[in-house]
Amino acid sequence: MREGEAFLDIRGAEKSFAGNRVLGGVDFGVNRGEFVSLLGPSGCGKTTLLRIVAGLLDADRGSVRLAGSEIGNLPTHKRGVGVVFQNYALFPHLSVADNVAFGLRAQRRPQADIAPTVAKFLDLVHLTEMAARPVRGLSGGQQQRVAVARALAVAPKLLLLDEPFSALDRKLRETMQIELKRLLRDVGITTVLVTHDQEEALVMSDRVAVMSRGAIEQFDRPDAIYLRPKTPFALGFVGHSTRIVGKAGASSDGTLAIETPVGRFFAAASFMGGAPVLLAIRPERIRINAADADANSLDAKLTELVFQGSKVHLHFTAGDAQTLLVEAAQIPPNLAVGDTARLSWSYSDTLIFPHDGTLQ
Amino acid sequence: MIAALKNRLARMDRIAILAVPALVYMIAIFAIPVAGLLLRSFSGPDGFTLAGYVSFLGDAFNWRVIGNTLRVAAITTLICLAIGYPTAVALSRARGFVQVALLVAIILPLSVGVVVKAFAWQIVLRRDGIVANILVGLGVWDTPQLLLFTETGLVVGAANLFLPFMILPIYSVLKLVDPNIQDAAATLGASPVYRFFKVALPLAMPGIVSGSSIVFSLAVSMYVIPSLLIGDRFQTLATLVGRSFLLMRNEQLGAVTASVLLALALAIVAFSSWAVRRKGDSR
Amino acid sequence: MTLAERSATAVVWTIAGAVTVFLLTPLVVTVIVSFGSSAIFTLPPPGWSMRWYERLANLRGLSSALAVSFQVGLLATAASLLLGGMASIALARGRFAGRETILAFLTSPLMLPGLVLGIALLQGMRFAGLRDVWTSLVIAHVIITMPYVVRTLYSALTLFDFSLVDAARTLGCSYPAAIGRVLLPNLAPAFVTSGIFAFLASMDNYAISIFFTNAWTKTLPIQMLNYVEEQPDPTIAAISSLLIGLVLVLLLICERVVGLRRLAEI
Repeated sequence: MREGEAFLDIRGAEKSFAGNRVLGGVDFGVNRGEFVSLLGPSGCGKTTLLRIVAGLLDADRGSVRLAGSEIGNLPTHKRGVGVVFQNYALFPHLSVADNVAFGLRAQRRPQADIAPTVAKFLDLVHLTEMAARPVRGLSGGQQQRVAVARALAVAPKLLLLDEPFSALDRKLRETMQIELKRLLRDVGITTVLVTHDQEEALVMSDRVAVMSRGAIEQFDRPDAIYLRPKTPFALGFVGHSTRIVGKAGASSDGTLAIETPVGRFFAAASFMGGAPVLLAIRPERIRINAADADANSLDAKLTELVFQGSKVHLHFTAGDAQTLLVEAAQIPPNLAVGDTARLSWSYSDTLIFPHDGTLQ
Repeated sequence: MIAALKNRLARMDRIAILAVPALVYMIAIFAIPVAGLLLRSFSGPDGFTLAGYVSFLGDAFNWRVIGNTLRVAAITTLICLAIGYPTAVALSRARGFVQVALLVAIILPLSVGVVVKAFAWQIVLRRDGIVANILVGLGVWDTPQLLLFTETGLVVGAANLFLPFMILPIYSVLKLVDPNIQDAAATLGASPVYRFFKVALPLAMPGIVSGSSIVFSLAVSMYVIPSLLIGDRFQTLATLVGRSFLLMRNEQLGAVTASVLLALALAIVAFSSWAVRRKGDSR
Repeated sequence: MTLAERSATAVVWTIAGAVTVFLLTPLVVTVIVSFGSSAIFTLPPPGWSMRWYERLANLRGLSSALAVSFQVGLLATAASLLLGGMASIALARGRFAGRETILAFLTSPLMLPGLVLGIALLQGMRFAGLRDVWTSLVIAHVIITMPYVVRTLYSALTLFDFSLVDAARTLGCSYPAAIGRVLLPNLAPAFVTSGIFAFLASMDNYAISIFFTNAWTKTLPIQMLNYVEEQPDPTIAAISSLLIGLVLVLLLICERVVGLRRLAEI
C-alpha cells in the first residue's frame, strides 16, 4: 500500500449521466476493519459511488484502490467486493443454502469446502434450520440475513450495504441494526453502508460521510457530525435544529456577537463583521426558564406541544416570525400553550455558518 | 476523430451490442427484401416508373378489390370490438375456475391452425350446416341458405380467427386498472352511464386502440380465410397478391399490389402508435 | 347495485358466454366430425368411427409434412429465442437511443401481410442465390417467430429484477455467467411461453411458407390445404383433432409451469 493510502481509497471519482454530473470528483477513504456510512438524500450520488466501488458502474474519471491495488479496471466478479442489495436480490429459484453457496460455486471453490462454509455462515446468521427452504417465503429480516450470509460466504475484502434496512419495519430495523453491527464487527470486515436514514448511519458507523449533490460535505465521527456539523447541509440533514438568520457583529477573545431580529447572541467563532450568518442550536441544548449565566437567551411564546413518548417537542415563537424548537425529556410543569418562557443555551452550543441567503 | 468515435462508443451502453445480431438478421432477411419489393414495384424496363401503379389504380376492378379489403377488415374489426370488449371486461372480473375456462377458450383457438378453423367453418356455414339449421328452426329463415361463399360467412370466420387479438390487449389494460377507480367515481356522484363513457372507456382506450389495430391489420392481410370461405369470385388485396404471384406469375402486378397492401398495413400501424402516444401525452 | 349496473353485468356475462361458444365452435366441430362415420360432413354424424384416424397412417405426404413443420418450427424457434433473447435484454436493460424503434422493428413482421413478406423473402433469397427449400424455410420462419419471442421476453425482462444479475456478479460470476445462472432459470417461464407461441406460429404459417415449398418439401398447413382442396373428407378433421390435442397438452404444461394468466400477456 502506498504511503498514507486508506484500505479503500477513492480519488477524484467523477460520473455523469447524460451530461448530468452525479459525482464531482469525490475523495473517500475507509480504513481496514472500519464501518463507514455514506449518508445523504436520494440523488446525492451515494449509490453511484457504491456501484462504482462494486464495478457495477464505471467512473468517468478517478481511481478506486482496494488493499493497495487499483480495482477500477477490474470487472465486478474479480474485485472481491461483496454487496447486500437494497431489496436483497436473493435468487428466487434457489433455496436459502443454495443462495449462500452461489458465490462459492461461481468461484469454483473446492467442492469439499462448500458445504462447511455454507453451514458456518448460516449458523452465523441463525438460519441453519431454514437451509432447505425456498427464499420466497422468508420474512424481511430473514431475507436480509440470507443476503448478508451470501455476501460474506465468499470472504470479500470489502462489504457494501445498499440501504439494507429500508425494507424492514421500524421495530425490526432497530434490532437488526444492532445485530448486524455486532456480526460484522465479529467477522472483522471493512464495511461501507449507503443510507438516507441519519439515525441508522449514526447508530451503526465508526465514521459517517454526509453527501450532497455529488460531493462529500463532511466525513467525521457520528458525534462530531451531530454536534459540530461543518455545513448547513450537514446540520439540516442530521438531526433537528433551530435556525436564526443574522449578521456577524464585533468579535473579541474568540467570541463573536451576532445581531438577529430577535436579539444579540454570542458564539465561540470568528467571522468578518457584517457578513450574513446562520445561527443554529440543537433542540435538546435549549433549556427552559433556567438560571444560566454567560448564556444566550430570549423570551418566546409556546405555540405547540408535541408529545413523543420518551421526549417532548415544544414549538416556540419569538418576535414576528422566528420559530424555535426545544426538545425536553418531559413536559415542563407550569407551562401551557400560550405562555411565555425564557429560553437559553450556552455559547458553545451556538453553531455558526456562513449564510448564502437561502434556508435549506 | 477516431478518438472521438471511440469515446462515443465507450459511453454508449455496451449492452446495446446484444441487440446487434437480431438487428443484422432482421435487416438482411426482412427489411432489405421488403424494401427491394417496394423498389421493384417502381421499376420498369427503362428504370424508375409509376406505370405499374398507374395501370393498377386505373383499373376499376382493383378499386373494388381495395374496397372489399377495407370493408371486410373494418366490419371484422367492429364486430371483434363489440363482442371482444365485454369479454375482456368479464375476463378481468372473473376469478378462479371461470377465469381459467375463459382463458382456455381464448387461448386454445389462438394456437389452432387457420386451415383447421377455416375447414371447420366450411362445415358449419354450409346450406345444411348448424347455423342454417338453427336459423330455420328459429324461424328467421324460411328455407336453409348458403352462408359459405358469402361476405357474411367470410366476416364470421375472420372475426372468429382474430377475436383473441382484440380481447387480450384490452384485458391486459383492464387488469392494470385499479378497481377502486370505478368506486371512487361512484362516490363522486357519477352515474353508471357517465362512468362508462368518462372513466371506464378512456382507461381501456390504449388496449382498444392496440387491439383494433392488430385485428384490422390482420384482417386486411388475411389470405387463407378468404381463399377457403369465399373463393375466387371475391378478391381482396391479399388474395390478389397470391394470384398474381402463384397463378398468373405477374410479378409487376404482384409487387404493386403487395406494395399497396403493405402501405395500408404500415399506415394502420403508424396511425395506431400515433394515437396511443397522443393519448399518453394528454394524460 | 342499480338496475342499470345489474343489466350491464348481465349483458357482459351473456356476451362472454356467447363468445366462448363462438371461439370454441370450430374446434368442437372438427373433433366431432373426425369421429363421425360419414365421409360427407354432417352434424351430428350418423354414427361414430375411428376410420379417419386409421387412414392417417398411410396418408401420402402427411408424415413428411409433419416432420418438415416440426423441424423448421423447432429450429426457427431456437434461433429466434437466442437472437431475440439477446436483443430483448439489450432493449429492456440498455439506455441507448432508438430502443422503441428497434422494438417496433423486431416485432413488425407480426403486423405486416404474410403474403407480402413471403414474396419479398422469396425474391431476396433468389437474389442471394439460395435455392435449398429446407434452409430457406428455416431462415424465413425466424422472421415469423422473432416477433413473438421479442414481445413476450421484452415484457418479462422489463419486470425482471436485474439486481439479481448484479448480485451474481458481485459473488464472482462474469456477466455472461450471471445471465446463464440467474436470468435464464428465473425467466424460464417466459422463454417457455414465448417459445411455444413462436413454435405454434411457425407450425401454422401458410402465407410465407407457400413461397418456399415445392412438390417434395411441404409444411403441414400447405399439405393440409392440399387435402382440403383435393379430397375433402374427415381425414383433415382427424389431423386437426390430433393437433388440437397436442396444443391442449402444451397449454396444460404451460398452466403447470407458468400459469395461464402469464400466457395471456402476449
